[in-house]
Amino acid sequence: MADPLLFRLRVTYGKTGRLALLSHLEITHALERAVRRAGLPFAVTQGFSPHMRIAFGSALPVGVGGVAEIFDIFLARNVNPADVLDALQSASVEELYPTAAKLISPRAPAASVAFPYSTYEAELSVRVTALAVPRTVTVRRKKKEKELIVADFLADGPTCETTGAGYAVRFTLQAKEDGSLRPDVLINACLAESGLDETALMGLTRVAQTARLVH
Amino acid sequence: MAAQKKALSTALPSVWNKLEPLLRRIERPSRYIDHEWGSVRKSDADFHFCMVYPDTYELGQPNQALRILVNAVNATEGLAAERAFLPAVDLIELMREEGLPLFSVESCAPLSSFDAIGITLPHELAATNVLEVLDLAGIPLHASERAEDDPFVIGGGPCAYNPEPYAPFFDVISVGEGEEATPELLCVIRRMRRAGANRQKILREAAKLTGSYVPSLYRWRCEGEAQERGSWIEPLYEGLPTRIEKRIFEGFAESSAWEPAVVPFTEAVHDRLNVEILRGCARGCRFCQAGMIYRPVRERSADNIVNSVLRGLAETGYDEVSLTSLSSTDHSQIAEILSRLNAALAGTGVRVSIPSQRLDSFGVSMAELVAGQKKGGLTFAPEAGTQRLRDVINKNVTEDDLFGAIDAAFAAGWRRCKLYFMIGLPTETDEDVKGIASLAQRAYDRAWAAAGPEARGSVKVSISCAVFVPKAQTPFQWDGQIGPEEALRRVNLLSHSIKYKAIDVHWHDPKTSFVEAVMSRGGREVAAVVEGAWRRGARFDAWTEHFNEQAWRDASAEQGVDPEACAQTTYDVGYIMPWSHISSGVSQAFLARERKRAEEGVTMPDCTFERCTGCGVCKGDVANMLAAPRGANHG
Ligand code: SF4
Repeated sequence: MADPLLFRLRVTYGKTGRLALLSHLEITHALERAVRRAGLPFAVTQGFSPHMRIAFGSALPVGVGGVAEIFDIFLARNVNPADVLDALQSASVEELYPTAAKLISPRAPAASVAFPYSTYEAELSVRVTALAVPRTVTVRRKKKEKELIVADFLADGPTCETTGAGYAVRFTLQAKEDGSLRPDVLINACLAESGLDETALMGLTRVAQTARLVH
Repeated sequence: MAAQKKALSTALPSVWNKLEPLLRRIERPSRYIDHEWGSVRKSDADFHFCMVYPDTYELGQPNQALRILVNAVNATEGLAAERAFLPAVDLIELMREEGLPLFSVESCAPLSSFDAIGITLPHELAATNVLEVLDLAGIPLHASERAEDDPFVIGGGPCAYNPEPYAPFFDVISVGEGEEATPELLCVIRRMRRAGANRQKILREAAKLTGSYVPSLYRWRCEGEAQERGSWIEPLYEGLPTRIEKRIFEGFAESSAWEPAVVPFTEAVHDRLNVEILRGCARGCRFCQAGMIYRPVRERSADNIVNSVLRGLAETGYDEVSLTSLSSTDHSQIAEILSRLNAALAGTGVRVSIPSQRLDSFGVSMAELVAGQKKGGLTFAPEAGTQRLRDVINKNVTEDDLFGAIDAAFAAGWRRCKLYFMIGLPTETDEDVKGIASLAQRAYDRAWAAAGPEARGSVKVSISCAVFVPKAQTPFQWDGQIGPEEALRRVNLLSHSIKYKAIDVHWHDPKTSFVEAVMSRGGREVAAVVEGAWRRGARFDAWTEHFNEQAWRDASAEQGVDPEACAQTTYDVGYIMPWSHISSGVSQAFLARERKRAEEGVTMPDCTFERCTGCGVCKGDVANMLAAPRGANHG
């Protein structure tokens, strides 16, 4: 990816509201189209079917929103990041909306691996003071069942708090090289462990992605 | 009882709060949530129209009729249009459990809250889905049962050319091009509703508009009476038309080829910018309904097309554009259009595609212009295996044309080609079926020779067969379909006649083609069969995994309709068919002459390349409109 002739722009965007229901693949298509609509001087790959040089941060499951999601776009020309942000915003829908853009080093680590810690906030319809965490959760991958040990991934939390709008639970998950634990799977397992129904979960949002664990 | 008249209102109710919790429990919720780029919500209108595609979002969203009509209605003062689709089965089941009615995409408003809904009828296997739409929406299935405050239900699309199997379900069926006709019809309904007119009065007024057919205003005659009187329908009131002439959008050629488009989140079929470069085709294939009903031929100019493509790409962000029409390589300026687009789009990663290849070396050189380095497969449609049968169907293509195309394609680097054929065309014999095998094998030999030594191992030719479905408004409308068993026998004969392992044969299920023929040729009595089949669970008939043949058979038996007779009877050209009151502009006399020429193996030219063949469409201001003379740059 490191091409000294290209300019690498890191864009932060939100996946919010009902567009939290988009899949990662749908998000990537939508963002590529927004980049084209914005008329950015993006670089294209060489080869049989040339395509846009764009790289996405770690994926969010269907139904999980994010307020600081990331993609990197490689540009063939130097640009003023503020102008790019303007152009992107006018080419975007409200709930999939770029909020910041900055040039970064072409050699910086990829957005998908640079921030292994993801902090999530779950919005609950019922008041909970403490959420029980199961030791393991069972996940299905390609029809195979697999046991994951929660402690391997859960770096912080869950902490319960009462917010102005209702009840929230915060927790931080660490992505591992050989996989990760989905936040929606974990929160549902915790709800079940605490004797609560899945319908108590009103929304789930990734509120931060960081390189190191921050409490 | 004084019927409650519905007042026009600017706001629509929303069921989003009920839908939202269900979206967590189903596949691909992005189909139901709106907010796509390009989605329009018009607030300053008091008349609401919902355009429905009777299948799922991923099939319907790219549909051209849906896009055109939503745009045309929204462009009209006082009218607002939204979209709706049939949800996938998982959501349908949940909606029934929860009592959630079918909703529009934009406002998430129940369909029953609209003033009018339009349902496009894209093909013969969508009929049970029409009933699924109405039922899920809580709108009475029959026009005759609808109350004053129910929406007007309007049908249109290719199946409107034989509207009778749908007749009881629609208030109005709109025949022909809807760019102007749909807003006009809606304006009539709006004006009269405002004035307090009742449903019956409004329908009688609507029936006066060119192209709009109100089935409930006509009595359906029995066969004997229809043949004697020359029409199956009898007006119930004075002053109703006895022939419904299709509407033509005369401004097509001058209108911009850029049509505002919604860019879906979910991956749809044909998920790309579609730019309609010309309308109509006059090649005159005798089995082809599209080639008859979309006449005359109208081309948009190269400037219009190139500008529209560039604008469309900039406004949608798509990385692929398709230049759509029935025969895009016939456009008089196609070479210029493709070269200009190639120059303008170099280095952007945008692909240009044309939907099908004309069967000659010119077609291949056009395909080559847009293929770049990526050469997947090419598709050709000789339709019949022998020259005799190709002459019968007026497919003006010779073996030399096909082989010239194959030589050019495989020399240029293509490695795969698919050949489309029909089984059961009128006059077909076993020799013609074996002819398909022979033609495909010789095509393979040519491909092998042209590909060169290194590439020969990867040369692949496949055959795709469909059973001939007789279509209304074509010269073969009088011809019966062969039965499913006979179709299988002929497909087996074909498979056994192929000696090359590198040639695959694929075929469509003859049982669905049978239902297509029943829907294509049936009269008003078939509507009860559709309803019976739907009540027995038939829906999504076009999806192999959902097709339920037994439901159709049982419903036919219950209604006393003989589906075999409907699909398979061959009539003399003097027989009045159940759609003879609907006119595509192509005269029944022309169709009959063409049927006779077919019998004699006499071919006719394409009027856009040679002389007029007298089909009857052109009159007054209606004529072929070419951007430049055809033939000059065509091989
Ligand atoms: S009337 Fe003549 S010129 Fe016009 S479409 Fe028919 S055959 Fe062609």
